[in-house]
Amino acid sequence: MESWHEEYKKRYAELKEHGKSFFPYTVFKDACVALAVLVVLFALAHFHPAELEPLADPTDTHYNPRPEWYFLFLFQALKFFPGNLEAVAAIILPGLGVLLLLGVPFLDRGAKRHPLDRPLWTGLGLAAIAGFAVLTWAGMESPMTNPAEAVDPQIAAGRRLYDQMSCAHCHKIGGKGGTVGPALDKTAGGETEEWLTRHFKDPQSVTPGSSMPKMNLLDDEIKVLVAYMKSMHAEEPFTAAAPDLFTENCAACHKLGKEGGDVGPDLSFIGTARDKAFIKKYVEDPSKFKPDSAMPAYKGQLTDIQIEDVARYMSKQGR
Amino acid sequence: MSEKEDAGCGCKAKAPEDIGRRDFLTRATAALGAVIAAALSATGLGYFVSPAFQRRDEDWVDLGRAGEFKAGAPSLVEFTQRRRDAWVTSERRSSAWVVTADGKNFTAFDPRCTHLGCPYRWDSGASRFVCPCHTAVFDLDGKVVSGPPPRPLDQYQTKIAGNRLMILPKAEEKA
Amino acid sequence: MKNRAATAYAWVCERTGLDRVWTALMLRHIPEAKGWVCLLYTLGSATMLIFTVQAVTGFLLATNYAPTPDHAYDSVRYIDSTVLFGRLVRGLHHWGASFMVVFAVLHMLRVYFMGSYKYPREATWMAGVGLLLLVLGFSFTGYLLPWDQKAYWATVVGTTIAGQTPVVGGWIANILRGTDGMGAPTLTRFYALHVLLLPALTGGLIGVHLFLVIWHGISEPPKKAPGKVP
Repeated sequence: MESWHEEYKKRYAELKEHGKSFFPYTVFKDACVALAVLVVLFALAHFHPAELEPLADPTDTHYNPRPEWYFLFLFQALKFFPGNLEAVAAIILPGLGVLLLLGVPFLDRGAKRHPLDRPLWTGLGLAAIAGFAVLTWAGMESPMTNPAEAVDPQIAAGRRLYDQMSCAHCHKIGGKGGTVGPALDKTAGGETEEWLTRHFKDPQSVTPGSSMPKMNLLDDEIKVLVAYMKSMHAEEPFTAAAPDLFTENCAACHKLGKEGGDVGPDLSFIGTARDKAFIKKYVEDPSKFKPDSAMPAYKGQLTDIQIEDVARYMSKQGR
Repeated sequence: MSEKEDAGCGCKAKAPEDIGRRDFLTRATAALGAVIAAALSATGLGYFVSPAFQRRDEDWVDLGRAGEFKAGAPSLVEFTQRRRDAWVTSERRSSAWVVTADGKNFTAFDPRCTHLGCPYRWDSGASRFVCPCHTAVFDLDGKVVSGPPPRPLDQYQTKIAGNRLMILPKAEEKA
Repeated sequence: MKNRAATAYAWVCERTGLDRVWTALMLRHIPEAKGWVCLLYTLGSATMLIFTVQAVTGFLLATNYAPTPDHAYDSVRYIDSTVLFGRLVRGLHHWGASFMVVFAVLHMLRVYFMGSYKYPREATWMAGVGLLLLVLGFSFTGYLLPWDQKAYWATVVGTTIAGQTPVVGGWIANILRGTDGMGAPTLTRFYALHVLLLPALTGGLIGVHLFLVIWHGISEPPKKAPGKVP
């Protein structure tokens, strides 16, 4: 036992003697803070409810995995270690960190407690906070390399139901599926919502002689299927100005067919790889997707309508 | 623990305002605690007991065009009912005996005998429903003519929507 | 009437020792923390309140949750869209998880910078570190449960990281996932950890932690040692 232990105990007993009763003096402060915390919690829960992203999809190749914010520093730290040393960052360092945390009382054993009297430990603590903050900040700043696609939950639910009900036995979408019924990406998007709704309730009622069975769908199922069908609306047309816009702004660097420069990638088949929404975001600010891109951001240079037009034009290339 | 605490306010003679403050804090703490408990339990209780007050969707089933049912003779209609049970959607195949005298007013019977649940059939010669299990006999209105059933045939609610016959099969299976 | 209440109270006290427990727990004297510092001493109890919120909302969510890949997502959507206060309760649990980490860490920083982990409170500190790890365990296992994209991919990354452990990594990853890759056993495992094992361990360790706090008495705010300022 170290020399100051007895003395500390004596001093603490004295302090306790002169202290106040836990209840109500301390409990009152605790209750005030507790209520404040609860109010903030309810406010956050009410005004920013927990999000629910689309259903887990193991085949998705577009997703940007990110951990919860308080694990982000660890996630970010992994970037500083080459593959063969990853275990060091992922397991060994955090493990040592936990051991250090557990061992703090055995490493810092003097009688001094005030932070200014323990510069080493205070410094270490501040350094840890700073390290956490810097790594977390860097993690938040790091670009989402995969294009984030906003998915309408209705459309996603419709697509899921389409799969569950095995509609692809008879119908084609995107070239996949059966041939008994029509290819839906070519036809269904053009129908009105009302027609689609009646069709899903009872196909024969709008298409006499249709071989599609009545599916007994629930109303909300019909709603999401209609949303899915409508989302495949024949894509929006570009204007006659779009090719000129391309020639003036893009052709110096990009090829389209045989015309155009070689600085940037050939865009002749871009429509087969990227959709309009992605192209639009990319043209607006390429650095969001490719930080080292030499392409300038066109947001502000072209009007939003012009960018939309070009994006529509590009999304048709190669299709 | 020192013996001072036994009386709650200590042995030291305390100034009255000290006692008043303690009293006030005790009440204030109790009030704060009550607010916290109320907020949590109101939310929790609402969430937990809400099924008791939830309005359930009526699962009407479309049996087809009303004009296609023959007047007079009952017909057995098979249907598939798609139902939502909270987060599970399931399909149930079932059937109903549909009776109409004029093609306007319809009666739909549960296809199981009210005695022990056997599937009864229509005897067109006798114009009676006959149950194969204990030879129960029901008339066209579902009334018991003879045999052991304790009550007439169970009916489903019916309605005409547009020109289609809809029925509301009972949600619960009877034992 | 008053008499009868007093009699009832006396009856309860005699059977349960309620009065003595109250005296020992609530009327114990503690060193006074003067000024703004007293606010730092509320962080522990605030963490405790958030734990209570998590326990209550967690139970409620579990009443409407199905831990299988084909129903988990739909059951969470059901909670959000159909159950009375469902969205609120899930929001509370979601934000409560972040709050739990924030307040546990703030509480730990208070203890750290005040040197409160020193003699005789080393064991209290270690129990606290254990609780922090359990909180992180809750967070890791709970994140998967909605079975949406975020949940799925974060867990893919998390379990892969655990798989980096030298020598035994492959086993650890498979033990966590319960299968090769990720699937139904991963979800049931995480669910069982999240709602059964971790709460039990946490409850026990909170008991130890609180007992030690009361046993040793809460540490007093440190005083600057006389002498030069470094």
